[in-house]
Order: sequence, then structure tokens, then C-alpha cells
Amino acid sequence: MFRTIVRKEIAANLLSYKFFIVILLASVLVATSLFVMGRDYRNRLADYQLIRPEPGRPIAVLPPNPLSVMAKGLEDAMTRSFEVEVIGIEARTGRSSANAVFAFFPAPDFVYIVKVVLSLVALLFGFDLVCREREAGTLKLILSNPVSRATLLAGKWTGNFLSLAVPFLLVTGVGVALFALVPGPRWTGPMLGRLALILGASLAYIALFLSLGLCVSALARRSSTALVILLLVWALLVFILPNLGTLAARQAVDVPSVKAMSEKRQQIWTREVLLSISERGTWAARIAALNDEFDRLEEDYRLKFDRLVRLSKKINRVSPAAAFVYAATEIAGTGIGEESRLKEEVIRYKNRALPDLTRDRTSAAAPAFAYRCRTVGEVLAAGGLFDLAWLVVFGVVFFGASYAAILRTDVR
Amino acid sequence: MAGLSPILKAEDLSKRYEDGLLALDHLNLTVGAGEVYGLLGANGAGKTTTINLFLNFIPPTTGACFINGVDATKDPLEAKKHVAFVPENVMLYGNFTARQNLEFFAKLGGRAGLTKEDCYQVMRRVSLQEKAFEQRVKSFSKGMRQKLGISIAIIKNAPAILLDEPTSGLDPKAAEEFLEILAELKAEGKAILMSTHDIFRAKEIGDRVGIMKEGRLVMERSRAELQVEDLVKIYIDYMKSEAPTA
Repeated sequence: MFRTIVRKEIAANLLSYKFFIVILLASVLVATSLFVMGRDYRNRLADYQLIRPEPGRPIAVLPPNPLSVMAKGLEDAMTRSFEVEVIGIEARTGRSSANAVFAFFPAPDFVYIVKVVLSLVALLFGFDLVCREREAGTLKLILSNPVSRATLLAGKWTGNFLSLAVPFLLVTGVGVALFALVPGPRWTGPMLGRLALILGASLAYIALFLSLGLCVSALARRSSTALVILLLVWALLVFILPNLGTLAARQAVDVPSVKAMSEKRQQIWTREVLLSISERGTWAARIAALNDEFDRLEEDYRLKFDRLVRLSKKINRVSPAAAFVYAATEIAGTGIGEESRLKEEVIRYKNRALPDLTRDRTSAAAPAFAYRCRTVGEVLAAGGLFDLAWLVVFGVVFFGASYAAILRTDVR
Repeated sequence: MAGLSPILKAEDLSKRYEDGLLALDHLNLTVGAGEVYGLLGANGAGKTTTINLFLNFIPPTTGACFINGVDATKDPLEAKKHVAFVPENVMLYGNFTARQNLEFFAKLGGRAGLTKEDCYQVMRRVSLQEKAFEQRVKSFSKGMRQKLGISIAIIKNAPAILLDEPTSGLDPKAAEEFLEILAELKAEGKAILMSTHDIFRAKEIGDRVGIMKEGRLVMERSRAELQVEDLVKIYIDYMKSEAPTA
């Protein structure tokens, strides 16, 4: 019975214009995203080859991450060059994304397409699954047979999920394969593992929106009503809640502005210079004192900033869109956790390189900067698994609500 | 009816909705194998509520209904194996062909492994044109859809059939063809409960006819009794009367 309903749903989708238009649109967007982001990646890779530090220069710089094609995240911030100076770390941003348009609009990466477009597509598949059958009168005919409402619901969900997931995986697979064909770094085993996890998170995200559509479809009497409700809920979950969460966290945690930090640094610098002149202390001692002061300032700033980030993440997780972005970017190695770890590593690198620099600024050979991205296991343990599980919880809750709703559905 | 085993049976069946409306009031009714029961009544009399209760679309407030001996409230999935249903407006999947619709509902009804020819045979039996077998249903007239609806009921091969105003909106020729099919099904031993507004056709096909008013079965006559009584007059008299009588 279940398989009969699944097959019927797939067949009904394949025979409808809606399916072809929606799948074509989503496929074009996924393929275009992979193409555009692939080009952007290659441009950044070419830039990296040009500005790669010579041996001995105290510069910390990372090559672009191939998985940023899928999830751009904080890639631009992470691939800046961090130059160690005697008075601290100078971050140069000139090598950020080659496409200036990205500065105005979110990067059209795979994660963005899934977050915005595929969630909407899933809702368009789900919004009329039950109420359209009731409006048409076919629900009565189906339920006059020995078919339980749970079987009907599960069959409809599975059939529509497969109708969405199979073309999505096919298009993504072809796009990724084409990206791998062009010159550049090859997809390694661990990278493919991360890619599979991102696809898994994407499917869980699509599934939860399909369940949400099914739930509202079972509750609403008319498909037009279900569509309006779902569009509002979609806008709330995908756009409004993540932004509101960040704003709310900013109200709760007071983090100094960039301008305030800059002024503070200037004050410390001026004071140390004056002390240096009046006390005539050694240059190395004054620089060490200056760096200690800057480090304390930075540490204080980082603690507050980390608190803000943690609180924002907690609040934003009321939206599955935020949980999905956190999970996908962390798995890709372009997330907040990875960026924070990189910053810590750069500070440690500065502390290692600084004694040599203060002794002899011209001939000192700084150690090379080495950074190892977290393994998938580390990423999952540090919160990635929680976000993935959170997506599944959303899906299960919405599906459970669909079940409760269809039990109450008036078939008459 | 004496001598016929009851396939459909309503026992003291009542339905009161949440808004307080008493849609069905202590209905007792049986339909035996090879019997057609015509249920007459104005809109809101309780005819469709009776069918909805047999199909477990709504739970009864009191009483029980049985299909082939199975309590439709306690074991609805088992009960539905023994009944086929034809709604007032047979609405099917417009993008599927007649055969695809028939196959889908046959599988839901437990008839797996049917060949194309099996489907064609049933559609021929209800006089659906051959060229329509592989046509999409969205181009079908109401009459064609009703024929396909009765095909779905036939292919399920259940001992009981529930019909909710099946001839409503059909032209006289299509309605006549429909009654011929019902006569065949009756001859095969099916128990048929048909709610209808059509007094003449109820009298023509029904072995028994009941009149419902405000949720109560106010009159029941056998075919033999209707040979000497005027059903139209009885019906109008009951509709005009103030309070329903038992």
C-alpha cells in the first residue's frame, strides 16, 4: 500500500508542469552557483599563487578552500594574509573575493541556494499534498480503501521527497564532477566525505521543509490558504529570525566597536612611545610591553566577541536555516568555529615569530605558518553534530505535527 | 430483508457534531446480499452522514455500523476491505489516464497484479468508450467519470457498495446506463446502499426504500409495498410533516 502511494506521488509529479518548472529552476540555480563559485575559487587560487609568502617572511596565509565553492561562509576572512609586525598583526583584506558584487549580495553558493531556493521548492511540493486531495474529492476515495492515514502521509512524504532529492543529487553530482574536471586541486577522500555530509545536511533541511508543508497542508482547508501561511513562515524562518537573533544578542552583549578598539590601540601606542623616549628603555622591552598590552586588549575583545557569537548562535537556532548554515559551513571548514581557531593559531604564530623580529627586523627568518583544518570528527564534536541532529529534530517535529493534523483532517 | 444475510448493518447509530447538530438519530438499518437499498431525503437529512459513518470518515456518537460483520469503528481498515464507494462527484487524478486511475485505486483496494486487459474489461463492462481507456481523465465528462468511478468499485470486488447520490448531474441516458450496471451488481449478490434525491430511480432499482428526515429514518417500504403505494406522495407528505415520526 505504502509503495503504491509512493509510486503514485512520483508519477503524479513527473506528469505535472509544476514539477518540471520547479526542478528546472532549482537545477539551473544549483548548476549556475557551482559554476560561478567555481570561477571565483579559481580566481582566488590564482591570487594566492601570486602573494604566497616567501620562506622566512612572517606572514600567515591560507590557500583558498575548495569546499568554499559549496559553502563560502567566512572564507574571505580566513584567507586574508596576516602579517606579523613588531607592533602586532596586520590583516590585509585586498585578496578577498574577486567578485565585487558579493560585497553587496550574499555569495550565491550552494548553501545559499539550498537555504533559500530549495526550502521554497520543498514547500511548493508540500503545500497542497493533503488539502488539494480534499478539495478535489480524491481523499475520500483513497480513504474509502483499507489505507491508514499514517500510511497515506508516509507515502506522500516519501514520494515527494524522492521527487525532490533525486534530481537535486543528480544536478549537484554533475556540477561537482564538472568542477573537479577543471585544473586545480582534486577532490580528495576526506573532502568527498565532507561533501557527502553537506549533501546529507541539505537533504535533512529540504526534508524538514517538506514536512512543514505537509503539516500546514493537512491543517488548512484550502491549498491557497496553505500557500500563503507557508510563504509567511518561510520568510520568518529563512530571513527574519536569523537576523533578529543576531540583533537580540547584540543588545545582550556589549562588544566594543572597531573604531573604539582602534582608538584604544592608538592610546597605548602613544603612551609606550612617550615612555620609551622619557625612560630610554630598551627597544625590545618596550615592544614586548606594547605587545602584552595589545594582547590583553585583543583577548578581552575576543572573549566578548565569542560570547556574542555563542549567544547569537543559540538564539538563531530557533530557525532551521541558521542551524543548516552553521552545520554546512563548519563541515566545509569555512564556519565560525574554524575561523576562531585560525585566529588563535595566528596569535600563537605571532608569539613564536615576534622574539626574532624584535631582535633583528631585517635578517630574522620567521618560521613558516602551518595550519591544520579540524577533522570532520572534531567539527562534529564541536557542535556540527548538534546542528545536524537539530535539523533532524525539526523534521521529526514537523512530521509528527503532520501526523497529528491528518488524524484530525475532516475528510467529508 | 428476510432470507438475506446483512452485509451492511447500522445499529442504533447516532451522530452529533461538535456544534450540537444531531445529524443522525438512532438509525437502524440493514442491507443484505443481492439487495439495493435506496435512501431518500432532503439535503441535511443524514444520508451522507450514514455513508460517512460506514466509511469511518467520522466516528459515531452512539451505536455501531458493521460491514460484512466487521465493526467499522473498531476495525475500520478490515471493514473497508469489504466495501466499495462511489461519491457524488467522482474526482480522479486528471493527469492520469483512466486505466492508471483504475489500477491505482484497485491496488489500494487490495487488487494487485491486474493486467491492462483486466482493467479494460471492467471499463468495457460500464460502457466506457475504448478510446477513453488511455486518455487523461481531465478531459472526461461527468458521465465518463461516474462510469470510471463505478469501474473502481467493481474492480475492488467487495461484497458491499456505498453510493452517494451517484446519478446526480447525469443526463437521463447516462443515469439509465448507471442503473443497468447496478442491476448487474445486485444480481451478482452485492449489497448496495444508495443515497439519492431521485425518487423514481430509487423506486425502480431499490428492493427497499427508506426516507430520512432530520437524521431519522422516518419511513421504510419494500418493493412489494411500493407496487400499491405512491412513493412520490409518501415522500412529499413526510417532507411537509412538522416532526419526524418513527
